[in-house]
Amino acid sequence: EESDSSEDEVAPRNTVGNVPLQWYKDEEHIGYDISARKIKKRDREGRIDSFLSSKDNDDDWLKIWDDYNAEEVKITKEEAKIISRMMKGKTPHANVDPYPDYVDWFEYADKGHPLSNAPEPKRRFVPSKWEQKKVVKLVRAIRKGWIKFDKPKDEPNYYLLWGDDTDTADNKRQGLSYIPAPKPNLPGHEESYNPSVEYIPTQEEIDNYQLMYEEDRPKFIPRRFESLRSVPAYEKALREGFDRCLDLYLCPRTRKKRINIDPESLKPKLPSKKDLRPYPRTCYLEFKGHGGPVTSLSVEATGQWIASGSSDGTIRVWEVETGRCLKVFNVGADVHHISWNPSPERPILAAIVGRDLLLLNAEVGDEETQVRTKELLHVGEPTPEDDGDKKPAVRWVNNDKFDGITLIHHRAASTVEWHSKGDYFTTVVPTGESRAVLLHQLSKKHSHHPFRKLPGLPVAAVFHPTQKMFFVATKKFVQVYDLQKAEVVKKLESGLREISSISIHPGG
Amino acid sequence: MPKHYRPAGKKKEGNAAKYITRTKAVKYLQISLAVFRKLCILKGVFPREPKKKVEGNHKTYYHMKDIAFLAHDPLIEKFREIKVHRKKVKKAMAKKNRDLADRLLNRPPTYKLDRLIIERYPSFVDALRDLDDCLTMVHLFAALPAIEGERVQVQRIHNCRRLSHEWQAYISRTNSLRKTFISVKGIYYQAEVQGQKITWLTPHALQQVLTDDVDFNVMLTFLEFYETLLGFVNFKLYHSINVNYPPILDPRLEALAAELYALSRYMSSGRLPGNPESNGLIEDKETENNKESSKTDESELRLAQLQHQLPANEPGALMHLVEESTADDTEEESVKECRTLFKDLKFYLSREVPRESLLFIIPAFGGTVSWEGEGSPFDETDQDITHQIVDRPTQSHVFLSRHYVQPQWIFDCVNILKVIPTDDYIVGRVPPPHISPFVDNDKEGHIPDYAVTLEGYKSAGQNQVMPLPGLGDEDLGNSIVEAKSEHNEFAKKKKELEMQEKKYHEELKMEIEGTTFSNLSNKKADSAADVADEDEAQAAIDQAEKDADDIAKSVVSRRKRGLIENLMAGSVGLIESS
Repeated sequence: EESDSSEDEVAPRNTVGNVPLQWYKDEEHIGYDISARKIKKRDREGRIDSFLSSKDNDDDWLKIWDDYNAEEVKITKEEAKIISRMMKGKTPHANVDPYPDYVDWFEYADKGHPLSNAPEPKRRFVPSKWEQKKVVKLVRAIRKGWIKFDKPKDEPNYYLLWGDDTDTADNKRQGLSYIPAPKPNLPGHEESYNPSVEYIPTQEEIDNYQLMYEEDRPKFIPRRFESLRSVPAYEKALREGFDRCLDLYLCPRTRKKRINIDPESLKPKLPSKKDLRPYPRTCYLEFKGHGGPVTSLSVEATGQWIASGSSDGTIRVWEVETGRCLKVFNVGADVHHISWNPSPERPILAAIVGRDLLLLNAEVGDEETQVRTKELLHVGEPTPEDDGDKKPAVRWVNNDKFDGITLIHHRAASTVEWHSKGDYFTTVVPTGESRAVLLHQLSKKHSHHPFRKLPGLPVAAVFHPTQKMFFVATKKFVQVYDLQKAEVVKKLESGLREISSISIHPGG
Repeated sequence: MPKHYRPAGKKKEGNAAKYITRTKAVKYLQISLAVFRKLCILKGVFPREPKKKVEGNHKTYYHMKDIAFLAHDPLIEKFREIKVHRKKVKKAMAKKNRDLADRLLNRPPTYKLDRLIIERYPSFVDALRDLDDCLTMVHLFAALPAIEGERVQVQRIHNCRRLSHEWQAYISRTNSLRKTFISVKGIYYQAEVQGQKITWLTPHALQQVLTDDVDFNVMLTFLEFYETLLGFVNFKLYHSINVNYPPILDPRLEALAAELYALSRYMSSGRLPGNPESNGLIEDKETENNKESSKTDESELRLAQLQHQLPANEPGALMHLVEESTADDTEEESVKECRTLFKDLKFYLSREVPRESLLFIIPAFGGTVSWEGEGSPFDETDQDITHQIVDRPTQSHVFLSRHYVQPQWIFDCVNILKVIPTDDYIVGRVPPPHISPFVDNDKEGHIPDYAVTLEGYKSAGQNQVMPLPGLGDEDLGNSIVEAKSEHNEFAKKKKELEMQEKKYHEELKMEIEGTTFSNLSNKKADSAADVADEDEAQAAIDQAEKDADDIAKSVVSRRKRGLIENLMAGSVGLIESS
């Protein structure tokens, strides 16, 4: 309490200066005194205490808490008055007059002369030269018709621009050839205010549009309105008009040449089917008996017999005329390819059964041929070939079941073709690499593989019917070999995607 | 000198010399890009696609001749003059020289486009051929709000409105309207003038909003040309039917911006024979009234009023105007057909139907029409009215003597040129789907059911209202039908009916021939088998045709096959590449 009374005399004890007091919020002290000692924080009076003291003392409202020094200060009545005046926006002291009366200190009476004593200049009395110049300019402009005051006359806006449409020279457009802009697309059913139901996309489709790229999204989504009065204004009308304008003046135009011919005329004239008659149209005979799909068919040289191989594991020999099944060989594996010996004296069937070749006696023809055939279809001693440790390409083995010969190939064979004389024949082993095309001689029971290199997988091989030539078809090419020299004569390029079979005309 | 020698700085040959990029063209012409654009639009110069793009692929190329063509145009000098004038005004304003500024503003340099029109369209048919865009644009601007202070001047919009009405009046008078189609975007019309098919789009008569995503400078430049073009085209067309153009209006009324009334006054002045007297009198009186009232009004108010009334009345008034002119006696068959479609029918338009459009269409097909509102020729109570066009189902008083139909009925009738039964279009019911008349059904592949039905109406029946037997009363009973299934149902029913009818006829025939019942069943079975056979045979023939086609295609070389396929795919000769 004593210190309070002496407050006015002593300078503020805290020396921290004008710094935010919250810097000392968490500290124990509020600052330092003049000799750099910490000033301890003092607690404020509690609310209840202050309330009680305000009840006890009348002048308690004059007490103010000083945060800076952390103490309570009591202000005087005069100070309180100053504060209240300041709060009202008045001057702090009551005896200051903010609006004093103006006192003119200059004496006007008895002063006989103006401030300036210069005489009135001449230009005040003469007409202006520059104004005159301007007027002259204007007058001249008006006289010469440079300045006109009347509104320009309205000429008739429209007149008959086009006379009679006669095709004269001045009716032609000058300059470069004009390319008219293509007309805007005409609206389809979907643009109707009330389109058919099938044109309206489902909600799902509309959702899908959102997933698409903006360019791919349909420009227009059909909507259906129940009546004409419910159709709203089209909000993109201006935009579309503008786009059209842009197209008209910004898009480069070119004249594209379109061939003006009927597409039908390009197609070749095909003969009508009627003109091609007679051709077999009705089924004459059916050869029934196979239990599976027939994979291959071959006709005997005399034309009396026909042999068919099927994937049900049988080979059947039929008489062409009657359709009678002469013989059934139950070979027990899929028959891939079948071929008659072209010589009439040797009624032998060559068939690819499973992966091997089977030579069969078809048992047609007279007895003499039968005997000869039987002799032919007998392998004496299997001759071991000197192929090193390699498996021989083909082994000739007697087939006791059918009295024939089986040629066991090292890989699966696919086709068999006879030479026209009926002694030689060839088999193709597509996966056989250097031993893919094999030549066999029936009379000597001998096989060899003269063609080492092939441009690709072989597909088929045939003999020339008259000359000593041999054709091997790979997927892209046909190689022509000379049989005597065993070398390539020609290489034919087919240009096809894939060759599947090859055949030589019987005349060569 | 070797042939290849080219002095330094000289242009090369070929594409490099023939074509010029846009930037270079602007520099060459010594104008700004905006002026270049304007020139291109007015002169109809467009970029071209050179065979070899010398300066790069992403640039726009103009033909050097086109640019030279622009360079020689007096318009280029005019644009410079305008620019100078604008600068002078600005300078005068800045110097507070109000006098000079006013004087300059009074006489701005102007230019005319008639020379350009004759240059671009040397013959009238050329102009008609290119009129599609022009009409669409003018009609679009006619539908914009005519508000002072917007980006489009009110005067331009009124001009567009007037031009479009004049055009419609001509089309309606000469019965040259051919097809109409209500789309979401607006109403499409197709007319045939001098053998040219002209298609245009008018927006729905609702307030359009001026959007910010368009450049009005470009559009207004186009509009400037189109307004002039349409004006001259209208002049020529009016001239061809011996009517004055522009329609002579009372100068006092015109000064009051009451163009419409001036028009009606002109029409009813008795100069034109054959106009019903009473009608004229009514119009006259009305004119006076309106004139007085409009005198007192503020000019803005008058404009607004006019704007409100123009779409309602002007086409009608104009139509009367043209109607009285002499008509050609020798008419084509199609024109006659169009003229007589609604010949003896009298229409009355209720509120909420697109009045402007119907007032255009119905007279174009020979019908008489009136509307609810001021100046209508006859009342709703007129006993002769055969059809009342209504859109809102609530009716105060229903006259039994007339059909109440929805507006779509008119459009469908017009498209197939037959008056079709009104049963499907009765008020309060969802009308059958609206079919576009512009679609080539063969090319489209899919034909909507209702298109088939309409085709049926077209091929069968005379020019009369033919309610289908046994269908009308049944349908009248349940007026609220599911919308979607309705037309399907209708088509099905029709088919059934036809079948039944056929059967009935067959039976009759058999009776006459004296076939006994026992034979009949056999015959029936036979006929059923026949039908099946026929179907199969047809299928076989189709298949055979297709096979032959495929074989022929597979025989030709790959290049030729591609050519054939291309030819099959597209048949249009000219293409814009953008």
